[in-house]
Amino acid sequence: MMLVGDFFRLSLHNLLLHKVRSTLTSLGVIFGVGSVIAMLAISEGAKRSALAQIEAMGVDKIIVFSKRPPVSGKSESSKNASIMERFGLSSVDRSNIAKMDNIGQITAVFNTRKPILKGTRRTDLKLMGCDYEFLRDSQARMQKGRWFSPSDYKNNRCVCVIGKNVKRQLFFLGSANIIGNTIRVGDDVFRIIGILDNRYSNQYPEIGGQNDMILIPMTTARALYKDYTSIREGRNFRIARVEYDLFLIKIKDTSCIDNTAKRVTRYLEKNHSETKDWGITVPLELLMRMEQTQNIFTIVMGSIAGISLVVGGIGIMNIMLANIYERRKEIGIRRALGAQKLDILLQFLIETVFLTSIGGLIGILLGVGIGSMITYYTGMPTIYTTWSIILALVISSLTGIIFGTYPAYKAAQQNPITVLRAE
Amino acid sequence: MTPDGKKIPNDNIVRLVDIRKTYVSGNLRVPVLKGIDATVRRGEFVGFIGTSGSGKSTLLNILGMLDVPTRGQYYLEGIEVGGLSDMEQATIRNRKIGFIFQSFNLFSHLSVEQNIEVPMVYGQVPTKIRRKRSLDLIARVGLGHRLGHRPTQLSGGECQRIAIARALSNNPAFILADEPTGNLDEKTSDEIMKLFHELNRRQGVTIVMVTHNPAFGPHYDKIIRLRDGKIDDTPFEWEIEQEAHRAEAERKEAEQ
Ligand SMILES: Nc1ncnc2c1ncn2[C@@H]1O[C@H](COP(=O)(O)OP(=O)(O)O)[C@@H](O)[C@H]1O
Ligand SMILES: [Mg+2]
Repeated sequence: MMLVGDFFRLSLHNLLLHKVRSTLTSLGVIFGVGSVIAMLAISEGAKRSALAQIEAMGVDKIIVFSKRPPVSGKSESSKNASIMERFGLSSVDRSNIAKMDNIGQITAVFNTRKPILKGTRRTDLKLMGCDYEFLRDSQARMQKGRWFSPSDYKNNRCVCVIGKNVKRQLFFLGSANIIGNTIRVGDDVFRIIGILDNRYSNQYPEIGGQNDMILIPMTTARALYKDYTSIREGRNFRIARVEYDLFLIKIKDTSCIDNTAKRVTRYLEKNHSETKDWGITVPLELLMRMEQTQNIFTIVMGSIAGISLVVGGIGIMNIMLANIYERRKEIGIRRALGAQKLDILLQFLIETVFLTSIGGLIGILLGVGIGSMITYYTGMPTIYTTWSIILALVISSLTGIIFGTYPAYKAAQQNPITVLRAE
Repeated sequence: MTPDGKKIPNDNIVRLVDIRKTYVSGNLRVPVLKGIDATVRRGEFVGFIGTSGSGKSTLLNILGMLDVPTRGQYYLEGIEVGGLSDMEQATIRNRKIGFIFQSFNLFSHLSVEQNIEVPMVYGQVPTKIRRKRSLDLIARVGLGHRLGHRPTQLSGGECQRIAIARALSNNPAFILADEPTGNLDEKTSDEIMKLFHELNRRQGVTIVMVTHNPAFGPHYDKIIRLRDGKIDDTPFEWEIEQEAHRAEAERKEAEQ
């Protein structure tokens, strides 16, 4: 029986002896592992960004939002045209929900839309009245300047924080420092005190991305606009009344978040029985459901890529069988010089596993390359997890063992006599 | 006592008892060996001779445990090898037997010294000792100047010397050589036979050899003649002719 070191030296020697053939043989594994790695990286990237988006809503919160009720039929829309539309969450809802069990702080948002002038040109930006805690709850950060102070709220000050994309829409390029500048909103003038940056700008349903809005204190918004807002209808805007657009409801004990959400839902169903002008989202539930579907997605993607690995493995088995037929004389000589069947079996098995493992390593590099290119050209995030790398290595070695055993067994079973006589 | 006064201890390395071999292909049964009884003693130089197809190679392969007899017992240093496992047989092949083939059977992708090391690799000899022993052996077969060469760069005679060195690398109990000069010209054949002769006489290596060449007769301590699958001690015609030639030549030499 050979020593372990000799097995490895011999296998490496034989692989290097036929560099081109070895490379061609392992191509199947290289591409198989490459596509597995790339697929896993893509689905992991998709999973993480989806989860991060959900997590940004806050897993310790229930999100309740106003929704414009569906307009059913022409008659109703013409009937409604005469009276002002009024829907959504109200301050009554807010105080009733606050009174329920297991409910902590409620942070509210109220959206309105006003004509805003940039020079002489009119732009259409949304204003967002928000509670003091909104910055913390939405997990946004100040890119520049500061958030509203309690005294801004108390005194209904006309100050605003603009989303980072708004700067481009309101100011000309090159205006360096815009903190302290003013914006005209209708008849009022707001002073800019900060720029907001939210990585997950669009995390809440129905209200739009914060990076594209002008945020003002809730108290100021109420004082100036009451509950009036304007909603877009085709090219026109219609005035409507919506008191609140969003409640971020903090839950004290998240282990019974389900029950609390049910209670809130029942309350809303009862008190908004005429039209469905609200919606509810439980991020924690979404998160768990998302995780499940993403895991299935990962398994499916990985399996599809894995098929190419099986094809690669069959290719290797084929080439190893041919290889062994070609080297049957070598096998006979080795047997005559004192090799056991086990020596021959291990020699060819280790050779195959070497081939697939090296193929696996190259495949990982290829997969990372493919993933990086996808990220570079499409912006899709790709994430390489340690377990996907380990999985790739284990699978490629396993491919070698699975598809190398039969040829190696055949090699070991060859009768040295017939082999040596064939001259 | 042999003709040149060499002492052979009465110590059987090999004892064959009623060895039979029948090849079966389909319905056809081809009996090749029909009951061979023979012994090889330590230090002996044994020649197997016989017509082509008489079963010499078959018998040699059985001696080398590459083939199994259909019936009969084979004792190697007193041990019946028939009942041994593949691992035990491989170990005996590795430690006790040195193979030499007609077509050398060296590995063309290994250097001469690496070729010599192969049996030691299977014998788990440590790398350093392996290297040292292979260098010694290359010198012993007179190819010290060929270090690092590949078999393809050597002549047939040189290749066979390397093969002999390889066969000796684990200090085997005996060497099995199947027509080792079959692929060589007459002059080279004589040189190789001289090397075998020296190994046997000077270093006491036991050799079992198959050849066609009747001129090698005088090298052997014992000749085993195979005829129709059996041992038959009556000399072949060509042996008698060869002997007559030799006697003639000696007589002429003496006359001068
Ligand atoms: N595998 C085999 N199947 C059938 N017949 C065989 C086989 N191997 C050898 N033989 C036959 O056995 C006989 C002896 O062969 P061999 O031992 O090679 O003879 P030698 O070496 O004396 O020339 C030959 O007739 C050969 O055809
Ligand atoms: Mg023969």
